[in-house]
Amino acid sequence: MGENSQTLDKERRDFIKKVLKGTIGGSLLLVIPAGLRSGIEVPVQIPGIRDQEYDLNKKRFAFVVDITSCIGCGSCCVADKREYKVPDYHYRTWVERYLKDFDDKIYVDSPNGGLDGYQEPRKDLDKEIRDTFFVPKLCNMCNDPPCVQVCPVGATFRSPDGFVLVDEKHCVGCAYCIQACPYSVRFLNPVTHSADKCTWCYHRVRKGLLPACVNVCPTGARKFGDVNDKESEVSKILSGPGVFTVLRKAMGTSPSLHYMGARREVI
Amino acid sequence: MDVLSNGAVTTVSNFVFPNDLHVHWSMMIVLYPYITGIVAGAFIVSSLYHVFNIKALKPVSRFSLLFALAFLACATLPLLVHLGHPERSMNMMITPSPSSAMAGFGYIYALYGIVLVLEILFIYRPKLVQLQAGSAGWMQKIYTLLSFGSDNVTPESLALDKKIIKFLAAIGIPMACLLHGYVGFIFGGVKANPTWSTPLMPVIFLLSACVSGISGIILLYILTKKYRRESLNLECIKTCFNYLAGFFIIDFTFEMLEVFSHSYLRSGYHHMVEGLLNGPLYISFWVAQVFMFSVVPLFLFGWLCLTRVKDRLYILGTMVTSGLLLLQVLYMRWNVVIGGQLMSKSARGYTEFHPQWFHKEGIITAIILMSLPFIVLFFLGKIFPFWLEESE
Amino acid sequence: MHIQSVRRYLLQSNHNSHVKRIIVGLLVLAVFGFASKLIFAPATFGDLGHYRAKAILEEANLEPRLMTNESCLTCHQHEKRKHLKGTHKTVSCEFCHGAYFDHILDDKKIGTLDVKKGEEIRVLCLRCHNKEIQARPTDKIKTVALPQHLEEKRVRTTHTCDQCHYVHAPLEYVNLAKKMMRIKDEPEKEPCP
Repeated sequence: MGENSQTLDKERRDFIKKVLKGTIGGSLLLVIPAGLRSGIEVPVQIPGIRDQEYDLNKKRFAFVVDITSCIGCGSCCVADKREYKVPDYHYRTWVERYLKDFDDKIYVDSPNGGLDGYQEPRKDLDKEIRDTFFVPKLCNMCNDPPCVQVCPVGATFRSPDGFVLVDEKHCVGCAYCIQACPYSVRFLNPVTHSADKCTWCYHRVRKGLLPACVNVCPTGARKFGDVNDKESEVSKILSGPGVFTVLRKAMGTSPSLHYMGARREVI
Repeated sequence: MDVLSNGAVTTVSNFVFPNDLHVHWSMMIVLYPYITGIVAGAFIVSSLYHVFNIKALKPVSRFSLLFALAFLACATLPLLVHLGHPERSMNMMITPSPSSAMAGFGYIYALYGIVLVLEILFIYRPKLVQLQAGSAGWMQKIYTLLSFGSDNVTPESLALDKKIIKFLAAIGIPMACLLHGYVGFIFGGVKANPTWSTPLMPVIFLLSACVSGISGIILLYILTKKYRRESLNLECIKTCFNYLAGFFIIDFTFEMLEVFSHSYLRSGYHHMVEGLLNGPLYISFWVAQVFMFSVVPLFLFGWLCLTRVKDRLYILGTMVTSGLLLLQVLYMRWNVVIGGQLMSKSARGYTEFHPQWFHKEGIITAIILMSLPFIVLFFLGKIFPFWLEESE
Repeated sequence: MHIQSVRRYLLQSNHNSHVKRIIVGLLVLAVFGFASKLIFAPATFGDLGHYRAKAILEEANLEPRLMTNESCLTCHQHEKRKHLKGTHKTVSCEFCHGAYFDHILDDKKIGTLDVKKGEEIRVLCLRCHNKEIQARPTDKIKTVALPQHLEEKRVRTTHTCDQCHYVHAPLEYVNLAKKMMRIKDEPEKEPCP
């Protein structure tokens, strides 16, 4: 097994080298990314990716957040911070707590982005609460992303498989994309001085792993998968009769992040 | 109160998205449209003479070009200070994104710079040839370079120059408008921000650019002339001041129109914009920008333009009005750039911004950057004489 | 002599010689600018769109820092037996203990991860199970109020959660004890999906 995987690794590395040296254009579509660090038992969480040729044009991923399942534990926020060592006071993902009183007034808070969990009820409100729920937030992976439109240098882009990514080596750090994002998921990373944001854990997905936040969610409030794979959970959910919404539809961004059970007050 | 990593101390009202606590575009991005606005405005003054033949503006026609050049030379500095990776700034020229409202700036700025420099060199050519002959050493070399090694000032040559000057000044006007209207569109094109995304934004930016440019020229013209104890051309000041009044009235009307239409239409984000102007921006918008620096100058305009005033008082009045209007435009930039970001995209709360003295993008840096154009102008004055002699 | 004459030719001034020089200068500038745009454009830029195509690969090649429960439970066999049977089977190991790659790198142990004890345990448990936070959907999680829960169960209010609930399978020993003591109340339901 060991020897076998070593030769596979070598072949894969040679292949990548060849592709990078030569004409990358068409062949980049089929590149297999570098494998996981050796010797780890890792289940295949997204089938059809690991150790296979990956066609950027054949994949279409979607993220579903089920608000009716979120318990506001903040596991996702902790996982995200650990996966990326996100600098303090900057958030790739966060969880908001909504409260609605009997006058339909909405009160929202998200202390430290939910990173420390919600240990206390809100003490500053003296209202009878009618409805209360948690809303996890992350990159909407728009099909028509305003951040990509405004980037002056092409440092943020939408890959053919639908991920809006940041080229950290090309970004000039002008923060225009941060202004343009209607969801405020972007920030200027104080360590790299480049724009940074949630990538739906692209590097994990390309290794057949679920995004870190989806992987740790104890109640399945965060779901992720390939829409083109008819067997995937996300594909089944999105084909079903459930009511789905996207955030800020009027912005015309066409997000690939869908919410289930989101009240109309959720922005 | 959290001390955030960008150095700004920020307090929060109601709910602000966690990433919206930071004001990413701070004072440097306030200065950037302010400086480019002054460039565009000053250029318009010289074009009024060179293209539209407003003869009264002849005394400041050369000075306004140099004034524009001095500010243009410093226009990109605040941007470079602001960028997270200033060393990669050339990416804007190497891989400009055709879809981005910001990507064209490098090219428009460079082209405008070329037009402005060429116009100055053509206008000054006879003078430069004359100075070249009368100087020695380094200065002579500089003058040789600036006159492109040609000392030909025959009537034939000057007639050609005149045609070229007219052409450059003519294409300079749309370019100055483009340069600054475009800066306005950088903000106007951000649909996620309801105070920015209005089609009026480029128009307001352009008009306020003219206001700041003309004000700057009036103020500096009077100050330098007074300092040198030379006589002022009152006709020129009056013409400038009347143009200033015209531009400012239109500018202020549009600024108020925008606020009025936001509040009358009561559309989607009206409550957020209203809360912003009456809340965190109350002092800097209503008190400073609107009352002290707009309404007061309007009365001054009425008094100085419509009644007969003694010359000395008139000059003092124009200086005060120009000074107030320079501040008006600065406050307007502040209220647009920083004010717009105080509103969280959560549409439920506002963050705060407190400028710091010693931050990379702090007050000290802002002061240094704002004084640089004047230093540049001083050295330009050593090479290009600002003022025409009586005979010219 | 030859150089002198070339120089004289260059510096001689016709009525339009300065214009010619400017035009030549601008052309040189344009060619230089265009050339540097071509030279300095990064490799693979524009291959797939207006961006560096290689950036996709670089992003894809990042190493994850978090793994899955299965990776942890490969070694931790005791926890595996308990964790996968209990109500906490969907709780991530790394959420409570920390990132896999802070513990194991290239098959070698490089660090010890956190094990919460005492008061920390209470804080950790209440992060999910605090009844005071009403936003939690009741069909997804069982919540308790403290100290009422402790009083109700007739234990000291200083008890920490893990004194009754084994963290990896919170109801296993509780239900076992109830069976042994022949306490009749319903075995606790499992709310998790």
